[in-house]
Amino acid sequence: MRKPTSIWVFIYGALAVMFLYNLTPFFWMVVSSFKTEIEIVNYPATFLPEEFTTAAYEKMWLQEGFILYFKNSLIVSLSTAFLSSLVGIFAGYGFSRFRFKGRLALMTAFLATQMIPGVLLVGPYFKMMTIAGLYDTLFGLILAQTSITLPFSVWMIKGYMDTVPMEIDQAAEVDGASRLQTMFLCIVPLVLPGLVATTIFAFLLSWGDLLWALCLISNPLKQTMTLGITQLVGQFRVYWSEIMAATVIASIIPATLYLVLQRYLVQGFTEAAVKE
Amino acid sequence: MRDNYKGYLFILPAFLMLLVILGFPAVAAVLQSFNLMWVSKPAFTLRAYTALAQDPEFLRSLSNTVLFVVVVVSSHLVIGLGVALLLNMEVRFKWLWRVVAILPWTMPDVIGGLVWRFMFDTLPGIVNSVLLRTGLSAEPVDWLGQPDLAFGAVMLAESWRGYPYAMLILLAGLQSIPRQQYEAAELDGCSAFQKFLFVTVPNLKHMFIIALVLDTIWESRLFGMVFSMTGGGPGYSTQILTLLSYKQYFQFFNVSYGASMAVVLATVLFFISLPYLRMSMRQQL
Repeated sequence: MRKPTSIWVFIYGALAVMFLYNLTPFFWMVVSSFKTEIEIVNYPATFLPEEFTTAAYEKMWLQEGFILYFKNSLIVSLSTAFLSSLVGIFAGYGFSRFRFKGRLALMTAFLATQMIPGVLLVGPYFKMMTIAGLYDTLFGLILAQTSITLPFSVWMIKGYMDTVPMEIDQAAEVDGASRLQTMFLCIVPLVLPGLVATTIFAFLLSWGDLLWALCLISNPLKQTMTLGITQLVGQFRVYWSEIMAATVIASIIPATLYLVLQRYLVQGFTEAAVKE
Repeated sequence: MRDNYKGYLFILPAFLMLLVILGFPAVAAVLQSFNLMWVSKPAFTLRAYTALAQDPEFLRSLSNTVLFVVVVVSSHLVIGLGVALLLNMEVRFKWLWRVVAILPWTMPDVIGGLVWRFMFDTLPGIVNSVLLRTGLSAEPVDWLGQPDLAFGAVMLAESWRGYPYAMLILLAGLQSIPRQQYEAAELDGCSAFQKFLFVTVPNLKHMFIIALVLDTIWESRLFGMVFSMTGGGPGYSTQILTLLSYKQYFQFFNVSYGASMAVVLATVLFFISLPYLRMSMRQQL
């Protein structure tokens, strides 16, 4: 349908406003990270660096702690993503393929756990970890984050498995495959794209977490990226240019992964409700 | 099939993990709030809850949370709907607009809080720089140092960061509206506004409610953004419940008191999420 020019001006004008609104903070973060220590404290601030320097990145990256934070975040997020997808495959298959008593109630319970605020759990969990000797370990943090991402992984994986026809399971059964074999050899390969999306979501949720790391980790050598960066603010001789360089590094991975995955984005968080 | 009982076995690992890592701490938190667990002399008491009702810091955090969630979620829905409508049109460079539209949401909230904190910085921040250079303000404004301005700044920051989530849900809703309905409306001589009112709005209602409920839950649980942007200050003017509960529990060691706040929050969230849970269940039947 043809629209008059004035409407197109309005549409592209609105898109341009959205463009500016969305990108200004990113622009400011990136620009500031390339400023010198002298320019970063200037008033009024310059919009572009007068003297372009990567000194802030070098200083951040060479700081011993920072590489550790990066590594810890990777370990925690990767393990969380892997564990919650693995356990999620089993539960997703169970919910998708079996009609047992209490199935609906269990599924509701799984979904409802996503509504529980982290602050309710983190205190008692801290106590449990202390008793179990897992306080201040990455393993304790991974367990906590897995249970946070698990319910949503289960729902997502179940949703993807529902799209695979039951006839495939029946054919596999006729061929004498056990349920486990059917799941891993027939169903999992068919839902692989969805599974990858689920895994990456869990990774991202874990990557962005602060609350759990803050409450479960005290050893500076075991801090994650988000925790480590927040602790830099206000420290003696840490400049905003350096903090902005750190935030750029911390944002690159999620931004890249989200953009690669954007067509799965909605499915992930609304799987339960979107389906017709 | 005959082996339906095996379903339990497949669900067992996930069930156990949730039971131990979510179920147990949730129950423990409730017990702690009544002074029944992990104390030397367990005795049922409502002291934590009666104290809450008289604690000005708690009451302020509660009203802050409500105001914050109402303002932020409404702005997410308004901006999100606007951008979703734009992205649903036949525009050029569609992929570029889509990518840009999602970007704010890709930033972890803690990181977003830091970036906005520096944007609102009194001297070298970009906000004051723009105000000065455009002549809107000759004096630098201490955005994060004044209670009302700081609260506004935090709400603005989270309005920015979180809206693509609502936008994506609404966009999915828009895309699922059958074209024929629009064509039929056109045949009946409907204007663009009438088409929006009589085709888009009724079709989008379902997804709108989902976006409203889920976003309300996400925003009520927000922690990192406020923690890194203001830490709740100045005073407790930007403090929200999650932050106060964390401080009581982990900084002041008022375990029972901190737990009772989290219980209040969780109870409210449970009731808010009921319509969503019911909707999801109906779809599974």
